[in-house]
Amino acid sequence: MKVRSMFRVAVLAAAFGFGAAPAMADGMLRYATVGEPPSLDQHVLTSDLATTIAHHMFEGLYTFNAANAPVNLLAKGDSVSDDGKTITISLRDDVTFHDGQAMTSADVVASMQRWGEHGSRGPLLFGNVESIEASGDHEITIKMSAPFGPWKNLLAFINGGPAIYPASVMEGATKEPITPEQYIGTGPFKFSEWEPNRHVELVRFDEYASPEGEPDGYGGARKAEFDSIRFMPVPDVGTRVAGLQAGDYDYAESIPGDLYAEMEADANVKTILNGGPIFGLVFMNSKEGPLKDNFALRRAIQTAIDKTPALQVAIGPEGLWRANGSFLPEGNVWYTDSGADHFSKGDAEASKTMAAEAGYEGDPIKFMVSTNYPFHYDKAIVYTKQLAAAGFNIDLQVYDWATLIEKRAQPDQWDLFFTHHGFVPDPILISVMNDDYPGWWTTAEKADLKAKFTASSDPAERQAIWGEIQALIYDQVPTMKTGDVYTYNIASPKLNGLGDATLIWPHFWNVSK
Amino acid sequence: MLSYFIKRVLAFIPTLIAASMLIFLFIHLIPGDPAAVLLGDTATPEDIAALTRELGLDEPIWRQYIHWFGGVIQGDLGQSLFFKTPVLSVIADGAETSLLLALMTMTWIVIFGVPIGILSATHHGTWIDQLTSGFAIFFASIPTFWLGLYLILFFAVGLGWFPSSGFPSISDDGGWRNLRYLLLPSLTLAAPNAALIIRLVRSSMLDVAKEDHVRTAKAKGLSPAKIAIKHVFRNALIAVAAAFGFTFAALISEAVVTETVFSLPGVGRLVVQSILRRDYPVIQGVILIIVLLYLSINLIVDLAYGWLDPRVSLQ
Repeated sequence: MKVRSMFRVAVLAAAFGFGAAPAMADGMLRYATVGEPPSLDQHVLTSDLATTIAHHMFEGLYTFNAANAPVNLLAKGDSVSDDGKTITISLRDDVTFHDGQAMTSADVVASMQRWGEHGSRGPLLFGNVESIEASGDHEITIKMSAPFGPWKNLLAFINGGPAIYPASVMEGATKEPITPEQYIGTGPFKFSEWEPNRHVELVRFDEYASPEGEPDGYGGARKAEFDSIRFMPVPDVGTRVAGLQAGDYDYAESIPGDLYAEMEADANVKTILNGGPIFGLVFMNSKEGPLKDNFALRRAIQTAIDKTPALQVAIGPEGLWRANGSFLPEGNVWYTDSGADHFSKGDAEASKTMAAEAGYEGDPIKFMVSTNYPFHYDKAIVYTKQLAAAGFNIDLQVYDWATLIEKRAQPDQWDLFFTHHGFVPDPILISVMNDDYPGWWTTAEKADLKAKFTASSDPAERQAIWGEIQALIYDQVPTMKTGDVYTYNIASPKLNGLGDATLIWPHFWNVSK
Repeated sequence: MLSYFIKRVLAFIPTLIAASMLIFLFIHLIPGDPAAVLLGDTATPEDIAALTRELGLDEPIWRQYIHWFGGVIQGDLGQSLFFKTPVLSVIADGAETSLLLALMTMTWIVIFGVPIGILSATHHGTWIDQLTSGFAIFFASIPTFWLGLYLILFFAVGLGWFPSSGFPSISDDGGWRNLRYLLLPSLTLAAPNAALIIRLVRSSMLDVAKEDHVRTAKAKGLSPAKIAIKHVFRNALIAVAAAFGFTFAALISEAVVTETVFSLPGVGRLVVQSILRRDYPVIQGVILIIVLLYLSINLIVDLAYGWLDPRVSLQ
């Protein structure tokens, strides 16, 4: 019986394994993701994973070139009135949606209105918008109540941004994400299917009208070389790496730092840094509790922490992190060291003295962190030890992410919480600038600088004001930046057209196999 | 027999109602808000409240329960908050993977576990017994994620014989050949379970071997093989049958680690992901179906007892 069973094993192995044809043709790009996004609707979601998939299908009026400057995508040109209050945008007239309809100003106005009312980042711009209307078949006019400097950056940032959908899809659309049947965009790939837990598949849009010009960042000409792209959820990192090495995936995202040296040394794997770093933030409660308006006590906490050991523990190889106090990375137009000398003092003695002067008497400080993101938890452990050494009584509360985001909305539940922030092209988009973001930083000094920052359209002036705001953040400490983290992805060396780093999200137009 | 069967099936109803209430209550008691998870980090409290209203999650919990259970009675498990598709179709998709994986794993368990268990019992106390028992303990002890990753490294990355992960449906391109995606995962899952079956077959057979009818069979001069299979193994099967039933149910509902390592779109991973996303309708639907599965398997095992051992009364 045993012999017979062994024979059956051999037959089965032969039937299933040997000589099996390659699973997929070369016309498909297979991308292993960490999970599944909640939806691909760009207006209401800020998930990076959603954008990684969706920006192949949906396009906005503008996008970013390699220098992170906004350039035309669906827009052809624009003009701003002398008082800065009227913006006229002309649209390209050669664009068609995936359902075959031509794109007109009616679609753009409908999309902008829904984004302005219900979108994640829309209300920031639309707080100043008096009206938006079609001033021609391919022209829209936006009237503002006051000049708003970051308008073009906001329109170019597709993540939580104004993707252009057909007016018919926007009819009755609210806060709830649109459904997959409504995924109709103008991009080089169109939506094909979403099989829960298996994959999201996009296929080439043959009637795609590309913008002109040399490819530059996300700008310039776009050509879909692949017949299709499959984004497959592969939550286990060991499986993502093994799958890429075995040739089952062409691209795999979010590989941990521990494997960096090994991946760099492997000739069958290409490593690709994500150009826009993410940065951890520890928010402080400005509404309730011992830190509410005790800025001196917050500064004492800030002084106790040395960010470098936490980055070493949580991230690993030096090429993947930078102990950088500027909210935007070096080389970016918004880089400034203003206030950043307070970024990482790690001085327990000074902190103790400052805490005593601030009236701290050892009351527990509730620090919430989630294990869903290992680097949050690892850093929080290091900080808790450093704060304990400076005499702080930290009550570390560990939750899953869904619980943490519910609790952080309740001001009586926490004093500190850990989160992280994706790269953004304009500091106005950083969460601490939003008065409603948990932490609720709403001091008069902030309001004053924020008003000046948004009213100015002069780049140099805006950069100078941002320097003042960053200094204020280090003084009032509504949040503590924990350093830049450069995540990285891996790809098959057979892929052509990939750079050494992504701009923000990976993109696969102008890429072939 | 038929009336017993009908009575048992009718007894499902109160159990299912009680289970559905418990599931609903416990899931809604976990902190965490689906609307907040859906909208992400930058959502304002007003955004979250608005979406909560749109999803109907602001109603009192008893009203949500009645609404949901009313649908369940009519065979409608509701819509996934996350995928925006009917829960039944989301589960059906996962069920295909889980059922095929469980069937394939059970095949390995029967092919390896039962003969090795018999061999171990019939050679009780010899080096063969020690060797097979040693292997059984080894495979029962190694963690499945470790075994899974090593199988991937060896057979998928090293030799390239099998795909490393994923599972396209057998209704997709490739048809039944797609089952090769399940070969490594099913072997991974079978290892610890087959080891337990080996131990169980061995100890049950040794128990039965001490009984009078076996001594009589030996005295009659029957061949050792005939005694082992017909007189010992057949009687030992009663204990093994129950183990088979519950192993099968566990393979469907608890294969989370293997499904994660091999990136399989199965029910176990679906339920874990749905909990993290707070996709209430999917969690409720999956758990309800798993409860039903356990009840059914319990019934089948009881019926099988009657068939295997006519002395067991089903009345």
